Amino acid sequence: MRLESNVFWIPSVFFFVAATAYGIFTGWNEWVGLTCILLSGGMFIMVGIYFKMLEKRHGVRPEDNEVADISELSGEQGVYAPWSWWPLVMAAGAALAFVAMAVGWWIMVPAAVVGVVGTVGWVFEFSTGRHAH
Amino acid sequence: MATVAYEETRADGAAPSIPAAPTRSGSVVVKWITSTDHKTIGYMYLITSFIFFIIGGVMALLIRAELFEPGMQVVQSAEQYNQLFTMHGTIMLLLFATPLFAGFANVITPLQIGAPDVAFPRLNMFAYWLYLFGGLIASAGFFTPQGAASFGWFAYAPLSNAVYSPGVGGNLWVFGLALGGFGTILGAVNFITTIVTMRAPGMTMFRMPIFTWNILVTSMLVLLAFPPLASALFALGSDRVLHSQVFNPDNGGAVLWQHLFWFFGHPEVYIIALPFFGIVSEIFPVFSRKPLFGYHGLVYATIAIAALSVTVWAHHMYVTGAVLLPFFAFMTMLIAVPTGVKFFNWIGTMWRGKLSFETPMLWSLGFIITFLFGGLTGVILSSPPLDFAVSDSYFVVAHFHYVVFGTVVFAMFAGFYFWWPKFTGKMLNERWGKIHFWLLFIGFHTTFLIQHWLGASGMPRRYVDYLPEDGFTWMNQVSTVGAVILALSTLPFLWNVYITAKRAPKVTVDDPWGYGNSLEWATSCPPPRHNFTSIPRIRSERPAFDLHHPEAAARDHHAHHGTDSDHAPVDPAPSASKES
Repeated sequence: MRLESNVFWIPSVFFFVAATAYGIFTGWNEWVGLTCILLSGGMFIMVGIYFKMLEKRHGVRPEDNEVADISELSGEQGVYAPWSWWPLVMAAGAALAFVAMAVGWWIMVPAAVVGVVGTVGWVFEFSTGRHAH
Repeated sequence: MATVAYEETRADGAAPSIPAAPTRSGSVVVKWITSTDHKTIGYMYLITSFIFFIIGGVMALLIRAELFEPGMQVVQSAEQYNQLFTMHGTIMLLLFATPLFAGFANVITPLQIGAPDVAFPRLNMFAYWLYLFGGLIASAGFFTPQGAASFGWFAYAPLSNAVYSPGVGGNLWVFGLALGGFGTILGAVNFITTIVTMRAPGMTMFRMPIFTWNILVTSMLVLLAFPPLASALFALGSDRVLHSQVFNPDNGGAVLWQHLFWFFGHPEVYIIALPFFGIVSEIFPVFSRKPLFGYHGLVYATIAIAALSVTVWAHHMYVTGAVLLPFFAFMTMLIAVPTGVKFFNWIGTMWRGKLSFETPMLWSLGFIITFLFGGLTGVILSSPPLDFAVSDSYFVVAHFHYVVFGTVVFAMFAGFYFWWPKFTGKMLNERWGKIHFWLLFIGFHTTFLIQHWLGASGMPRRYVDYLPEDGFTWMNQVSTVGAVILALSTLPFLWNVYITAKRAPKVTVDDPWGYGNSLEWATSCPPPRHNFTSIPRIRSERPAFDLHHPEAAARDHHAHHGTDSDHAPVDPAPSASKES
């Protein structure tokens, strides 16, 4: 994970330096771009630090090891939905909501219905009940 | 659902295939719209964005037809013309080029890192639907009484507010793009997670193919760029619908919009460029029969371009007089350095290689030539005194078409011809591919090269008409003729796709080009549902090449480790005398 972390935190340092330089040269008068660069730096350093934490927790994974064998990651790869209707339903709800903002607020009613159905369906798609496996 | 990776040695080097599940007729539509397979979703992205490409291209043809001679012959009003160029820009940038990145990234990235799918398959499909619905909403303005948005694709305030641009078309544009933008953001999160967590053992970061690297960096840029766009669009929507005053020019709203929009807009240029740099970086080594020259340099150059891209947004705003010219001019010129490194590496890859000019290579060379022109005029435009003279003229139009068409369209077709066997199991026809390339290449340069002079002699962009006395007529006519050739070049491609589907023989090997480097060439054409029945051992940045050409891999190993190696001695260059 070390490199993944570097890819995020090193640019964030550049963003902070660039924001400082930009601030000094503009006399701290132009605050839109300054805020944008600082927030970009903040987001990247957040991801970088999180990846550092993951590195501490997991150590060297097979994909970080130059001489790893494919078999080191054999076994369960996790649960993957083989197919699903719910992305379509949820996106339809979201699309209706955005049309409502553009065209008329009454569309928000069907948007909410479709959106809630979609969200519940998505979350419980692979649920087998409480405490069940 | 688990994909068990195992290593297996087969004499013919081909992966064993898993028989497909039996399908009922008529179930294909359901299978596609409920799919969570990254490849199917990727094809949906590619097909949808290509349809938007054709729609945007037809709009461009109408624009060029209108400009063929003075007077208004094609459109009925200047307002219609404004709608055409606004939606042409919107569609090409946000509904064609950006989702095309998501399409290629979806199909290819998991294959290149040896993953069975992306990290969040359902989120992936959700992102696609947001893009499709957002695109349809943004374009739906054409079916409203006042027509589609007409304030230019960068929607400058206060022109884009409800007073100067009334009508529901503008609202649909704002919220449609916001919805599609969320799809792009979710897609980027998915790609980053996939690349960080789902690589095959041995696939270290510095063994990932350059295409995958560029997808990672592009996704990071999406995370930087699209949230400011979403916030700007929501504020604009609130101004238009709820009559808030965020972009009221009395409060500095005009420049506020430009800052927010271009803080998105300039990284967006790299979002639609970097993945396509990645495509050609995959193609050059294969058709030069050489490993990529300067792999690490390319990676660092990509990251440098991405980092610098957040400090250059205001070079789109020189003529506002409200930005710090020296800072942005310097930063913009600085970007030419990592871009130059990339050119150096691509040329270095071809240098003294055994070049062959199959269609993917032709398109990549077309890319490198066209993009070079665009890059050079970019350096001109980065200089404020020169920019003042030609800002908002056809010089700028020519510049960004060279940049964006050069990268997106040339590299898109390079990728299509290159990966078509991987997508469909059939090779596109080479002869029709070459006809397609030359028609498009000649058409493109006829259309846009002349526009540099058109702009330098004073033709402004976004004008529906000009006078005969302006002296622009013949140049516009050359450009329009070029545009017709450019548009016609799509017909050989569509014909090629058709005859390939009908007649072309099945590809039976994993790597029909013979010198493929990355892991997608180590699985069947097309790959099975979860991509691999076996993954070769990964010991370099080109595992598929090592698998198919073990003798070369052994030589490389010997060259690197010499006598320290515990391997049996190898002949360093068995056929050197014959070759040189």
